[in-house]
Formats: sequence, structure tokens, C-alpha cells
Amino acid sequence: MSFDKNEQTIGSGGIIALTLLRILIGWHFLYEGFYKLAQESWTAKPVLNGSKWIMNGVYSWIADSPSMLSFVDSLNMYGMVILGFGLILGLFTRWLALGGAVLLLLFYLINPPLPGLYYTTPTEGHYLIVNKNLIEMMALVALVFIPTGKFFGLDRFLYAFLKKS
Amino acid sequence: MENEKQESNEEEKKGSLNLSRRDIVQGLATVPFLGMFGWSWSKKDGPDTASDGPVIETPKEFTGKELNVAMLGMGAQGQVLLNSCLRIPGLKFKAVCDIWTDLNLKRAVNLLTKYGHEVTGYEDYREMLEKEKDLDAVIIATPDFWHAEHTIAFLEAGVHVYCEKEMSNTIEGARSMVEAQKRTGKLLQIGHQRRSNPRYIHCKKKLLEEADLLGRITTINGQWNRGVQPDLGWPKRYELSQEKLEKYGFETMHEFRNWRWYKGLGGGPIVDLGSHQIDIYNWFLESKPVSVMASGGVDYYEKDTHEWYDNIIALFEYQTEKGTVRASYQTITTNSSQGYFEKFMGDQGTLSISESANKSGVYREVSAPPWDEWVNKGYLSKPEKKETPAAGEGAVVDVRETASPESHTIPVELNDPYHQPHLQNFFDAIRGEAELNCPAEDGYETAVTVLKVNEAVEKGITVKFNPEEYVI
Repeated sequence: MSFDKNEQTIGSGGIIALTLLRILIGWHFLYEGFYKLAQESWTAKPVLNGSKWIMNGVYSWIADSPSMLSFVDSLNMYGMVILGFGLILGLFTRWLALGGAVLLLLFYLINPPLPGLYYTTPTEGHYLIVNKNLIEMMALVALVFIPTGKFFGLDRFLYAFLKKS
Repeated sequence: MENEKQESNEEEKKGSLNLSRRDIVQGLATVPFLGMFGWSWSKKDGPDTASDGPVIETPKEFTGKELNVAMLGMGAQGQVLLNSCLRIPGLKFKAVCDIWTDLNLKRAVNLLTKYGHEVTGYEDYREMLEKEKDLDAVIIATPDFWHAEHTIAFLEAGVHVYCEKEMSNTIEGARSMVEAQKRTGKLLQIGHQRRSNPRYIHCKKKLLEEADLLGRITTINGQWNRGVQPDLGWPKRYELSQEKLEKYGFETMHEFRNWRWYKGLGGGPIVDLGSHQIDIYNWFLESKPVSVMASGGVDYYEKDTHEWYDNIIALFEYQTEKGTVRASYQTITTNSSQGYFEKFMGDQGTLSISESANKSGVYREVSAPPWDEWVNKGYLSKPEKKETPAAGEGAVVDVRETASPESHTIPVELNDPYHQPHLQNFFDAIRGEAELNCPAEDGYETAVTVLKVNEAVEKGITVKFNPEEYVI
């Protein structure tokens, strides 16, 4: 079970640190999902309506279509809960990391802090192009390539099973 | 990971899936984090705890003394009050009185009989006073110009009085009511029912007094915008005789039905509607205005049948302990935009409150100290949206603007009819279990404040309040 046959290995410390990174991101998703589920009336509508830049048209269209909106809302809430469980437990880690990264990219595109765009809703920090969504997205992209679940996580059983069959 | 090779040799010897103890430990290593998550989720307040906590004033099961109650004036407002009273335990209705015997009186007697009250109907309140000797309380909902006479008569007869606002259509009338209350020592509650509304009480006691959320209040605005309404009509067969109308102070049937619009009978929209809200200005500020200027007129309706102003805007100046407060109030009867609310603005925040629940909100100025303490105490919901939603495409925040404040909701709702807590408070006070929320003196101050608005319009001047006018 070597990490990479040709290149330098990442080391146990690296794997543990990346596993913790995975758990923290999973935790974040899980809480966001649960929180939205607990609020019976949560909807992405106001956020989508405030969208700027290239996705503005698509997001407004979603916000204005009740059926699309309720689909996107459910996808969001349950998607985040599933991502949260998966990333913490280390199950289907690489696929979920990819899914999470795509989701975060979509979040980032709602209101990217690009020069020239102004938002009337203040955020909790100050950002120029790079914000926390983008960083979390990139962290997940890294986890797509580093199968931490194979070392710490249920994926270990999955790999063992696949190896056998 | 250097021992991998060695391990895999061991693994092969074991079960069919080739799982070593190490595999199992590592595979399950992150499961405890889910446990940690579950634990912290259970420890944290539910996300909506603060905004969910309902403080509903529901009538307690009745054990105390049953009160004998009469009602005087069974028109629209009398019916509203009666419907609230029927939800309050411990009341025994003995008598009702209304000059419209064929309609209002009959309806009230029928309703009360249906609810098991042995009630007698009267046309003339003097006859009622003469015959009903064991009354504890009377609820008066007659036209404003009758309030003083009715209230004083019942107080003198030893009956506690709940009198609808406006206390009277004249300052002298209101003053004589306070004097009668003092003389007789009976209770006199004035029907400014917001003073017993748990949400208003929460705002006054917790948000303003305890938390001082708004800081220095400098400005208030409020309104009651109501759409066009036709005059009230009447079924021909129930028309009162001219003789009877005149006996009770009305010249025509139109006057009888629409007395609120007539000088000498009512006070117009500023008194009917504004009085409720200007009362809140005085109550929340614990002050009374020093002056008022106002603009108004009969701009829209027929002048012959609408003597009071259908469109009126008043500007008050208050001198409070914390400094000057300027307050505007408007009531219009031709457009219902944004309905009714009162908005208090201080240097640290805004309190917008309305008797209709969904219009209330508290907004923190970005420069104000954090309100976390009050959110944690459940005084406010957690901040949600902004007061103004994100501006549309292309909108730019200018350096001259300040960022939108955080928005909170008030976690206290009244789920009973608006008037019920105020009536309950009156009956509790009779039993010695509560203090009146709007005793005669408070009602009087508001009557002075509001009646002077009409004077300011009439005379076209800024009316100064003489502090002595508020004192009896």
C-alpha cells in the first residue's frame, strides 16, 4: 500500500494531516447541511437572487422557478449532509471530494469577489478574487488526488474488497 | 507506511477480505469524529431557539372570583371586545346596552345567551345602571363623545370601567374622566391595547429598558395607511327614528353610522388610528411631546359627510432625558401602502414594531456594539437578512452610504385576539392580581397628545404643549 511507486511518499504525518483536513471540511459540510435542514424554511433563493457576474442569469432563473428552486434547495441540503458524512467517514472519498469541489465552485460563482463587482451585503472578511470558498474548493481538489480514505477511512475496506475481487 | 509489505504478508494469512487489525483500526479511525459532531450538535442551541421561543399569553384556568360584567355599545368595536371576552374565563355577563336595539343589541344578547350567559338588553344606560346593582365591571365601546358621560356614571356607581380609546373627543371630557376615577377610587382602563401586548411589553422592558439596544433615540416615524373605504350603510328596515337619533346626539342615520368622521362626535383617523401608535411613542419614550405641527385636510372624501381630515401628517418634538426626539406620524385613508407600524431609530439601532406581527424587526447599526448577549438571552432572534435586500444588478455602494444593518426578529408573539391581553389585565387588576397597563392618567396624556394634532391643523400653527395640561 505505498502511496506512490515512483515519486517521494507523502509520509504518515502528511496522510494524517490531510485526513484531518478532510474531516474538517466534512464537518463543515455536515453542519451547513444539518443547519439548513433544521431551518424548515431555508431556501437558496435570496442568495441566488443576489448573484453577480457570469452565473447571474442561470441563478436568477433557478430562483424564479419554484420547481427548480426546490430541487436545488434539496440537492444543496442533502448533498451537503452526504458530503459531510462521506468525508468524515472516508467513504467514496475521492468522488465526494470532487463533488464537493464542484459544489464550492458553484457557491464561489454566486458572488465572486472580483475587482469591479460590488456587493451591498457585507461579508465577514475581505477578499480579492480568493475567498474561503475558493480555498476550501482547492483543498478538496487536492483530496481528489490524494486518497486519504484508503489510509484512514471506510474506503480502506472498499479497497480491500476490490482487491480481493 | 514502511511496514506495508510485512503486513500484507500477515494479511494474506487472515480472513477472506485480508483485513488486519491495523486495517480495521485505520478504517474506522475517523468514525469518532461523527460522534463528536453529534455531541456538539446536541449541545448547541437549536438553530432557531431564539426566534422560536414563543411567549404566548394564554388565559390560565380560572380559580378566582367570578366577575359580573356589563357592556355598553355593541357596534363593531363592542363586538370585537366581546369576542375577546368570551375567551377569558371567570366572567359572567349580566347586561348589554345599545341604542340600536333591533340590530346590535339583539345580536349581542343572542350571542351571549348562546354562550350560557343570562343577559338583559337595555337601550338606555341609565336604566341599566338603575336595575343592575351587582355589576363589578363595565366595558364601554360607545362613540367617543359619549365616553365621558358613560364612564363617569359607572365610576360613580362603583363599577370598574374599561373604556375604549379615544378616551374622549375633547380634552375637557378626558380630564373629567380622570377626575372621576380619582374621586371614586375605581379602576379605569383605557383601551390602548398595545400596552398589554406581550410583544410590545418585551420591546419596552427588555429591548429598550434592559438592553438599551437603540442607544440614543433621535427619531421616530409611524403610520397607519388605509385604503379607500366606503361609508358605512345600514339596512333600511333597521333605520332608527329621527327622534331616537336626536335623543342620543346624532342628526342623521349617516352620522350615527359614520360618527368617526364628524366633528363633535369623533376625532377622525388621527384619533381613531393614530392614537394607538402615538400612545406607543409616549410610552416607549416615557415622555410627552412639547410641540406639534401638522398638515391635513379633507382632500378626498365628500366634505359634507367627512368633517375630519382624511389625510394628515404630524410632526412632534419630544424633550426626553436623553435629548431631543423628533417624531413623524401620518395616517391616510386613500392608500394602504405598508399598513401600520411604529419605527424607533437610535444611534445604535432601529426598532420597527407593529400590532401585526410580521412587520416587526430590530436592526443593529454596523457601528453599534455587538448584540450577541441579547441574542443568547433569547431577547432577539439571531441576525438573518439585511434590512434592505442586496441591491439589484449594477447597484453600487457609495462611500456616503453606510452598510445595511443586521436584522433581527422579536421572538415574542401574541397568538390571541389583539384586545384579549388588555381586557385580561383589566379583570386581573379588579381581582387585585395586576396593575392596570393603561390607567386613566396614561390614557389622558395620549388623548391630549392626539387631540392637539387636530388643533394644530385647524389653526395652522405649531401647538406648544403646556406641561400643566398633562397634569390633573
